[in-house]
Amino acid sequence: MSVLDGIAIVGVAETAIGKLPGRSAISLQAEAGVAAVAAAGLAKDDIDGVFSFSGYSQAMMLHAARVAEHLGLRPELAVVTDVGGPGTHHAALMNVAAAIDAGMCTAALCTYGENGISIRRSGRGRAPGTLTGGEDFEAPYGQIAMISGYALFAQRHMHLYGTTSEQLGAVAVASRYHASLNDNAHKREPITLDDHQASPMISSPLRRLDCSLISDAGGAFVVTSIERARSLGVPYARVLGYGAAATHHTPSQAPDLHELGGPVSAGRAFERSGLTVADADAVYIHDACTFSVVAGVEALGLCGEGEGGPYAESGALALDSKCPVNLHGGMLSHGHAGGVFHLLDAVRQLQGTAGRRQVEGAEVVVAHGNGGVFSTFSTMVLGGGR
Amino acid sequence: MTGKPRPDVNDAATAPYWEAAARHELMLPRCDGNGLVFFPPREFCPGCWSDDLSWQPMSGGGTVWTFTEVHVAFYDDTWADDVPYVVAVIELDEGPRMLAGIVEPDMASLAIGDRVEVTFEDRPEGVTLPVFRVVE
Repeated sequence: MSVLDGIAIVGVAETAIGKLPGRSAISLQAEAGVAAVAAAGLAKDDIDGVFSFSGYSQAMMLHAARVAEHLGLRPELAVVTDVGGPGTHHAALMNVAAAIDAGMCTAALCTYGENGISIRRSGRGRAPGTLTGGEDFEAPYGQIAMISGYALFAQRHMHLYGTTSEQLGAVAVASRYHASLNDNAHKREPITLDDHQASPMISSPLRRLDCSLISDAGGAFVVTSIERARSLGVPYARVLGYGAAATHHTPSQAPDLHELGGPVSAGRAFERSGLTVADADAVYIHDACTFSVVAGVEALGLCGEGEGGPYAESGALALDSKCPVNLHGGMLSHGHAGGVFHLLDAVRQLQGTAGRRQVEGAEVVVAHGNGGVFSTFSTMVLGGGR
Repeated sequence: MTGKPRPDVNDAATAPYWEAAARHELMLPRCDGNGLVFFPPREFCPGCWSDDLSWQPMSGGGTVWTFTEVHVAFYDDTWADDVPYVVAVIELDEGPRMLAGIVEPDMASLAIGDRVEVTFEDRPEGVTLPVFRVVE
C-alpha cells in the first residue's frame, strides 16, 4: 500500500493558450484553478490545500502562498515543488497524497502556468539561462539556452544510433497533427516533413520545428481522496505507479545516453503499478524538443535503445497507432507552460473527455519525461475510476 | 551589450582552476584516496567524499564527446557577434567531461570523437577560459 493509492485527480482545467497580453503568471494559474475546482464538482470552500510552482518566467519564492492569497484561500499547507518537467506535478501529487493521509488536507488545488511570451514585453522577466546551474562553467561559453543542452544529446544520439533529422521531424509532424484535433492548442495548422526540414537551424541538429513553443498558459488539477471522488460522481484518475530518477544538474555532467534516468524512472513506475508499457493505451512524454520523444519512447520500452528514431518515423506516435504519444499536441504544438498539460490530458483520456483525440476506452495512460536537460526523470502510470 | 557571462573566480573551491587558466594551464583536483580526477572542482571527491585532494596539471588532450552549433543569439544581443558558434562537451584524457568552446572549428568535418587539445582564450572581461582546438 502507498499513500498514492488513496487519491484521485477529480478535475482538470486549462486557460486559453498562446499570446495573452497583459496576463501575469499568477492570473493564469488562478483562472485555471477556479475552472479546475468547478470541473471537480467542488466549491471554493472545499479547497484546503494549495500546491504549485511559479514556473520560470515569473519565478517567485513561496509561490503557493501567493496563489492561495490571490484566490482568497487560507489553507493549512501551501507547498511548492520544483523537480523539473513532469516531476514537478508528480511530486506535488505525492505531497498531496501524504497530506491527505496525514489528515492535513481533504481537497487540494494544484496550479501551474507561465507567461513566457508576455513577460518579455513587460520587461520584468528573466532569462532562464543560469537556472540549470552552469553559470561558472557553461554560460561563459554561450551554453545559455535549454535547447542547446538538448541539442548536445540529440547530436550524440545521431552519432551513436544513426538517428536522422527526418526522424525528429516525424515527431514534430505527429504532434502538430494531434494539435489539429485540439481546439485549445497554441499551434493547430498541420505541418509536413518538408516544413520541418525547411525550418531554420536553431542549435544543430535541432531546427525551429524541433523546439517546443513558448506560451502564455495556465493549467490546474484538483486532488481528493478516492472516497470523496466517488461521492462527487465525476470520473477521475488514480495513480497506479510512480517512479523517478535524478542523475545530474548541469548538462555537461550527465551520464551517457544509455545511463540517463529515463528507463530507471519508467521501470520503477511500471514495477510499482504491476503493469508494463504493453498495458498503456496512450503515453504523454514531456517534449522540450522532438528528441525528447525519441528518448522517451526508448525509456518507456516502446522500442529498444537507439531505436526511437525509426519508431517515430514508422507512424507509431499517431492517434490511430497501438500506443499514441502526446495526443494533446505536446509542448511542440499545444503549448509550453511548464509541462502540466501532459498530465491534464492523460487525466482527460481516463475521464473520456478528450474529444476528437480520445482513445476509446482508455484504461491505462502513462505520463513520463524529464526536467532540466535529462537531469531528473519522472514517470506516472495512471488509471481511471468513477 | 552587457558583456559575456563571467565565472565567479573567487569561489574558494574553484579559484585554483581559474588561477591556473590565467597562466594558460588546465588543472583539476584529484582525490588522493581513490585517484578520481573530477570536474567541476569542489571541496571534496564526489566519489568517496574525501577532502584529501591534490591539484594536478592535465595533459590538455581530449576527444569531442558531443557538440552543437548555436545559430541564435538567445535572450539578448550578448552573443550576436558570435553566432554561429560551437559549444562542445570534451572528454579529457584523464576522464572527466567538461563543457567548452571549440576555436576555429571546421563545420564540414567536425565530428564526435575528434581529438582536441586545450588552448586558452583571454576574455576582455578579465577572465581566461580553457577552450579546445581540433588536432590531426
